Amino acid sequence: MSQSYLLVALPELFLLAAGLVLLVVGAFKETAAGARLVSNLALGTLAITLVLVLVAAPDRAVAFRGNFVMDGFAGFMKVVVLLGALGTLAIAQPYLRREGIERFEYAVLVIFSTAGMSLLLSANSFLALYISLELMSLPLYVLAAFQRDTYKSTEAGLKYFVLGALASGMLLYGVSLVYGFTGTIFFEELTALYLDEEGAELPLGALVGVVFIAAGLAFKLGAVPFHMWTPDVYEGAPTAVTALFAAAPKLAAMGLTVRVFAEPFGAFVADWQQIIIAVSVGSMVLGAFGAIGQRNIKRLLAYSGIGHVGYALVGLAAGTQSGVYGVLVYMTIYLFMTVGTFGVVLALRRRGQSLEQIDDFAGLGKDQPLLALATAIFMFSLAGIPPLAGFFGKLYVFLAAIEVGLVWLAVIGVLTSVVGAYYYLRIVKLVYFDSAPEALDRGMEPELRGVIAVSAVVTALFVVVPGPILGSARVAAGALFP
Amino acid sequence: MAVVTAPVAAAADAAPTGRPLARYGPALGSATACAGFAALIPTIADYSSIRVAWPWISGLGVELSFLIDGLALIFALLITGIGALVLAYSASYFKGHHKLVRLLVLLVLFELSMLGLVLADNLILMFVFWELTTVTSFLLVGFDHEKADARNKALQALLVTAAGGLALLAGILLIGAVAGTLEASALPAAAAALKADPLYPAILVLVLLGAFTKSAQFPFHFWLPNAMAAPTPVSAYLHSATMVKAGVYLLARLTPALGGTGPWLWTLTIVGGVTAVLASIWALRQTDLKLTLAYTTVMALGTLTMFLGGASAIALAAAVTFLIVHAFYKAALFLAVGILDKKAGSREIDQLGGLARPMWRTWVVVALAALSMAGFPPFLGFIGKELKYEGALAVASEPLLVVTFAVAANAMMVAVAGLVAIKPFLGPRTATAAKAGEPPFAMWLGPAVLATGGLVFGIAPELVGAALVNPTASVMIGDRVAKDFKLWHGVNIPLMLSILTFVLGVVIYLALGRIRRGLAAGEAHGLWAAESGYDGVLAGTKALAAWQTRVIQTGRQTQYFLWTTTVLAALLWAGLAMGGFAVMPRGVEAISLIELTMLALAAFGAVATVVTRSRLLAILALGLLGSAVAAIFVFYGAIDVAMTQLLVETLIVVIVAVALLRLPRLTPAPGLEVRWGHLGVALATGVATALALTAVLGTELDRRITDFFEQASATEAFGRNIVNVILVDFRALDTLGEIAVVVVAALGAVALLTRRREHREASR
Repeated sequence: MSQSYLLVALPELFLLAAGLVLLVVGAFKETAAGARLVSNLALGTLAITLVLVLVAAPDRAVAFRGNFVMDGFAGFMKVVVLLGALGTLAIAQPYLRREGIERFEYAVLVIFSTAGMSLLLSANSFLALYISLELMSLPLYVLAAFQRDTYKSTEAGLKYFVLGALASGMLLYGVSLVYGFTGTIFFEELTALYLDEEGAELPLGALVGVVFIAAGLAFKLGAVPFHMWTPDVYEGAPTAVTALFAAAPKLAAMGLTVRVFAEPFGAFVADWQQIIIAVSVGSMVLGAFGAIGQRNIKRLLAYSGIGHVGYALVGLAAGTQSGVYGVLVYMTIYLFMTVGTFGVVLALRRRGQSLEQIDDFAGLGKDQPLLALATAIFMFSLAGIPPLAGFFGKLYVFLAAIEVGLVWLAVIGVLTSVVGAYYYLRIVKLVYFDSAPEALDRGMEPELRGVIAVSAVVTALFVVVPGPILGSARVAAGALFP
Repeated sequence: MAVVTAPVAAAADAAPTGRPLARYGPALGSATACAGFAALIPTIADYSSIRVAWPWISGLGVELSFLIDGLALIFALLITGIGALVLAYSASYFKGHHKLVRLLVLLVLFELSMLGLVLADNLILMFVFWELTTVTSFLLVGFDHEKADARNKALQALLVTAAGGLALLAGILLIGAVAGTLEASALPAAAAALKADPLYPAILVLVLLGAFTKSAQFPFHFWLPNAMAAPTPVSAYLHSATMVKAGVYLLARLTPALGGTGPWLWTLTIVGGVTAVLASIWALRQTDLKLTLAYTTVMALGTLTMFLGGASAIALAAAVTFLIVHAFYKAALFLAVGILDKKAGSREIDQLGGLARPMWRTWVVVALAALSMAGFPPFLGFIGKELKYEGALAVASEPLLVVTFAVAANAMMVAVAGLVAIKPFLGPRTATAAKAGEPPFAMWLGPAVLATGGLVFGIAPELVGAALVNPTASVMIGDRVAKDFKLWHGVNIPLMLSILTFVLGVVIYLALGRIRRGLAAGEAHGLWAAESGYDGVLAGTKALAAWQTRVIQTGRQTQYFLWTTTVLAALLWAGLAMGGFAVMPRGVEAISLIELTMLALAAFGAVATVVTRSRLLAILALGLLGSAVAAIFVFYGAIDVAMTQLLVETLIVVIVAVALLRLPRLTPAPGLEVRWGHLGVALATGVATALALTAVLGTELDRRITDFFEQASATEAFGRNIVNVILVDFRALDTLGEIAVVVVAALGAVALLTRRREHREASR
């Protein structure tokens, strides 16, 4: 029996064990070559974990006394998160080397954080949720301050930590309320609790608890009104770390949010729907308007991330299977767009200096036509302009909202997309039509080239071959609605 | 599909080389496609349609479905036919240009998107192509991007049309939600349900926004003249013949589903009419020939919109006919202006003159096109105009209004036609035009074919009438239309109106100088500044963004806490206001004196924390608050909790005090007003939390856990103090873990503090 328990959590166990091994390897080889070795080993670890998740049995299996669940939903989200971690770790390597902060701890921290994300997606009780959430977050706080010789990076780490601790507190407070009023922290028991009662209501205390839990999750998602850390942390943290923030933890938090609201509180859609709608509208509006005035591309992407979380939440607000399906499709597409975009930012250099200002995109079309093409693909896709993948993400969540009569929510989504289109398209204009006094550096590292190319191809060709992503997302969403 | 892919293959052939055959490859491909579509004319003339579909995105009702009916075929023929001529023209116009291949590829991509738009049956698919035309046109308008002006104009056109496009998407989604289908061919069956639905006004507004922005209707017209920064062949193709007509196409396509209602009729009539008249006045004002033509295009689009509003068969037939007429003469004139620009050295009307002799072949073409534009018999333009007047009289809502709009706009068209055909060619030869000469054949061919087409179809109108216009009008009206197309209708009201139009037109032409001066004066007084609306919206959005950064995203952690708390308070109050928490706690007993004392102590600690300016005092006061709370725990028999609390409080006071001593002094302290604001937020949050908590305590607590411990602690763990039993027995492992964590944290703190001291000593 215990053996099968371990098998269910094999990918996570492997990841954690590998993380420990890498830590030791790094400790004994504390040189730049060692850092490179650890980083490459970490890439291999993530790839193997990805394979382990892919070959795992698709059936629902529960382990560790109901604290851990592996189902189609967890499997799908794990694949997406692992891809995000893999992609961002790959593009981090050359960046860290150039910035002179190539240390083996980076890859180890990424591995531990990814293990936290993976556990998070399989969390089946609030206890497991909290532990994995902290396992995910603590390495991230350190990573934000990784470039510790600069004020900005240190400040980013501190801010992230303080606000993150506040959010953790809120989440815990909410969990204790839910526990006090329902008597359980297990998702399955919560689901079963009111299953046979027609028209059952959540106890008021538990409802207040849900509000606090939502606040804690909103912080991890970087959704309004708990978004304030994102622009500062995105800007301050080293770009490679920012890429990781935008890709992996956000996706893990979204997967967790979907599970929490669809599974234990799935029967009380009417109770939490308003919270999600409020967060979603706030995020879409702020994401759209906040981004306009930005000059720093990382800050802009932070706002863009806030907005995209808002769009994805439109699907969750529907509270239906097709809504969750929309969220999954949206987040998958978001992953490719955002990793690709950060790849472009990392590739943007002039005389060996990394560039972060939006105006630095000027002249890219002339100096690096292929990179410019990739940039245009990502920007048009982020703006939601067909036939690129980003459009279909929006289409799915909006349709789900309209199905349940949330027409106005979809309309707000479309209107904020219009505003959002402004700043994405301005970048395209800079890339193709403006010129800079000095040419950008040509050539980039193979890792960077590969990640950008894969992301761009997926984003551009989703319209032609939508089957793989759509099919697996459909199965994953079905797992939450048996 | 072979028909559609032909131009791509041709473009791919052309890409690597610059040889003439390769340069003209795309044009040949496009011409082949046009011939392919022409082969379908007999089928369509028979009032039937062709539909093909493949599954694409299952489950969403989105499939790759294409429909060829009269409406689609007309557009397809115009797109491929004019496309072929423009591609040939461009190959010659940009001969030797280093980006010729890029231009041709973009043009072909645009052509394909446009074809997809008009052939798609599925509305989502249509929208995909719709936005593709926006994107490709963006790249085409900015083709000459060494000019800063071209770049900004390209962005403007992109923003306006992309914004409208997204509104259209919302409209399409609503249509799908109401009608239950996204296939345009299935919509007429759901027309009644659509029009009766409470969402109909929303659908109408969103769809019309999409159509009006794309087709440059007032007040979104400004982007079209501004987009004239594009190379002339691009303007000829996108901004007169095809892309700007996409909005008109959309209106025509949705007429059977949405049309015929009061709001539809009035909105289209008035917006279209106002656009037509205003645009023709602006057209008179221009001195740049290309801009003049741009405004007359806006006028034509307005006219088309106006007639699509009229729900009668004859108005719709008029619209379709005028669509064809306009595409012919306007593309010809645009291309001819390109020739003038290239060969005579200017597009400014005042700098051109006396070109009749050196450029007589061009003049013939311009004259033919202008005659069609002015609506002289026996040109197709004449038939178009007669039909328009007939249709205007048949418009259900307000025939007089429509007729007035139509006559006014047409009279000004006559004047503009005169301007274009007479001014540059007659009179003395200007200095600019000294070295003028005829264009190469490929450049001349396009306008010549188009202008001749206007004449040929005018003489034999049934060629287009029976074959294309009638089936198209039938599609839109949902009933068979069999209008007779003849050059001579006898003396009737339309003919009278035509004569009136000519007279007015000639008068306007003769008085043009004075009119222009008057308009210039009006413009100086800020008349017609619709573009300032766009600028205003843009500036407002930017200002809002700046406000957001300045007020919310200040970069100060304290500010973030303030906002987060404020939002929390607002949420709690919203919940309270909705009556969700209006429950009083049960079993509240009288509060004893000693409890009151402790509460007062806690309150004093809280107030002192806030009031004091000294950080050390503040942290001590906070410790006081915590100790008072610990004391309250004592009264409720939870000695262990109280002890833990007391220990933690003491620890925090010590650690924070140590940390604070090492921090620099905060200067300056926040002002009084700020602190009052903080007080407000704090009070709001505190009171709301208190109210929410009392309400929560008033509800039933789940007692299963409590019951379990009450029963099991004595029997299973042999302890009577339940809390103790929980800590050291049931949750013993947790306690161990907690202790371990505290120890590790303490070690960390020690390491940090001592390391800091060593560091300082080392630096000394």
